[in-house]
Amino acid sequence: MINGTGITKTFKQRGNVLGRREVPALRGVDFEIGKGGSASFIGESGCGKTTLGRIIAGLETYDSGEIEIDGTPMSPLKLKHRQPHFRKIQMIHQDPYSALNPTRTIYQTLQAPLALRAGQTGRSKGWIDERAAEVLSLVGLDPGTVLSRYPHQLSGGMRQRVVIARALTVDPEMLVADEAVSMIDVSLRLGILALLKDLRERLGVSVLFITHDVATARYIGGDGELYVIYRGQVVERGPVDTIIANPVHPYTQSLLSAIPVLHGLELPGEEPVVPLESLTENQSESGCLFAARCPFRGDGCTDERPLLRVTEGVPQEHACYYPQRRSVIARPMSEV
Amino acid sequence: MADQAPGVRIDGLTVVYKTPAGELPAVRGISLTLEPGTITGIVGESGSGKSTLALSLLNAVQPPGRIAAGSVEIDGLGDVVGFAGEQLRKARGAHIGYVFQAAQNSLNPLKTVGKQLLDLGRSHGVADLRGLVREARELLGRMGLDGARVLDSHQHELSGGMRQRVGIMLALVLNAHLVVLDEPTTALDMITQANILKIVREVHAERGLTTLVITHDIGVVAEVADRLAVMYGGRLVEQGPTREVLGSPRHPYTRGLIRAIPRLVGDIDEARALPGRPPTLVTVPKEGCVFRERCELRMDVCDTVDPSVVADGSRIVACHAVTVKEHAS
Repeated sequence: MINGTGITKTFKQRGNVLGRREVPALRGVDFEIGKGGSASFIGESGCGKTTLGRIIAGLETYDSGEIEIDGTPMSPLKLKHRQPHFRKIQMIHQDPYSALNPTRTIYQTLQAPLALRAGQTGRSKGWIDERAAEVLSLVGLDPGTVLSRYPHQLSGGMRQRVVIARALTVDPEMLVADEAVSMIDVSLRLGILALLKDLRERLGVSVLFITHDVATARYIGGDGELYVIYRGQVVERGPVDTIIANPVHPYTQSLLSAIPVLHGLELPGEEPVVPLESLTENQSESGCLFAARCPFRGDGCTDERPLLRVTEGVPQEHACYYPQRRSVIARPMSEV
Repeated sequence: MADQAPGVRIDGLTVVYKTPAGELPAVRGISLTLEPGTITGIVGESGSGKSTLALSLLNAVQPPGRIAAGSVEIDGLGDVVGFAGEQLRKARGAHIGYVFQAAQNSLNPLKTVGKQLLDLGRSHGVADLRGLVREARELLGRMGLDGARVLDSHQHELSGGMRQRVGIMLALVLNAHLVVLDEPTTALDMITQANILKIVREVHAERGLTTLVITHDIGVVAEVADRLAVMYGGRLVEQGPTREVLGSPRHPYTRGLIRAIPRLVGDIDEARALPGRPPTLVTVPKEGCVFRERCELRMDVCDTVDPSVVADGSRIVACHAVTVKEHAS
């Protein structure tokens, strides 16, 4: 339903007397998310995953490249004409505590976008009330008790459900969930993930999941595409389950190695990968972007940047000159 | 000043907060022992009382809260619940180091880290400030940072992971041997988190500390802690050696929490959400088991009788259903 080719974005920081500093946030990213499909972007903070998510939701502009929504290219269109297309894509933010207006009841929050649509399509007030109750039921809340409440009267998990319900008022074809569960209590997280999964299955809504936790991406859909993003470049791309089972890029391997091991239930992976240094602001721009931190860098890594491609014997796309499978993730003790 | 890891014995600790509905307990009748030289992890969701418990170690519960009952006995110090004023201020920092959440800005944005370090030294009457700076530089270097550069930086010049390490340095630089880390990795991404946890483990071993880690993330505890204590609704519901508790959790809440974590391998659909939601200060049941509303093993007795804390070797559980089952078998 949406695809992008060669998306770039550079942020200009206000610099000192010597001029501005340019920070490349995205360096020519291709992506494709089908109708009812799922995709996940993973990477460290600052890798560009949120920027890409915001571009996809129409909340941010891009410098070059092209985005097509249902076959219509966006860049020739004026802002006004783009909006109906981007309305199909709704964003769910990380923080359910600041995403809702505290002075409005849940009914008022849901009523505003619905009234707009009712006006456009000539529907009655009765339709608005009916639809408000309907979207709340869809997200597993009881309209009778929730509609008259204010956000502060709801728990974090319930608020996030209201945020999702609000996104559903415009009948979106896709939801962009940016770290949608990271601020929610652990015992309630899975409920929100299950809801997104359920909406995908029942309503055929595509889900784009932006996270640093690969396991949650797997829960939404193991068949979905996983994009591993590093400093604005996709370094590995393929079905979630394929990459988890056979990660070949050392950066993907470091991300997977960093997931805590539940000692007592699991044994650590045999070949954990730890980056040589931490991500800093002024890392080299030449050659492979990960080379400075890569424990396996070899000849040529710092000369020319490897591009995302398919090579023999590797089922997924990757951007590494020396792709090698390593067993980095924890194994359940029951299977050992 | 004690130069070795102190033991801590929390006994019958109750902390109440004054609300319009009267004084309500955030922490109720908790007993917990931190053995010298160990890392203990406390896991709990928001409102479970875990941060209130941690603050009690410094006797730093702020009004409208107060410690209503119980004692916190720290080796070499005594019962800090009775401390006040200057005695309390000296204990904090010199004996007990507290590392606040990285996301919350616990550093002063207007002063460099070095200036804040000197403030800390002066307020604790450190005579050798040069020595203090040297010690701080060494600690930062130990954690993989350029000490001189960091001391010259303001907080906005440091990343989340760097700030967290500065927090650890400030907690340790006065040679405290009891360290409390409150959500040490919240809001950090995976690689930084793994890095910080490794540092916590190493510094703990090298300096001979007794460490308490407070977190909502069972994975964090699994990585660092020797012992694990699970809090729910102001009560400690289960504790024991980390590997044993994770390998064979007994309390239904612990089991539910572990089952609610999506894993990288195995059948992903085995992950199950816990029904219901965590209680707040107001909604937590006044009598009976605090977890019963969400419990799959609920019995009649759970509604009226608070489950007593039953010890079985190194494992401690407070659950009627578990106690009944063990008597039967």
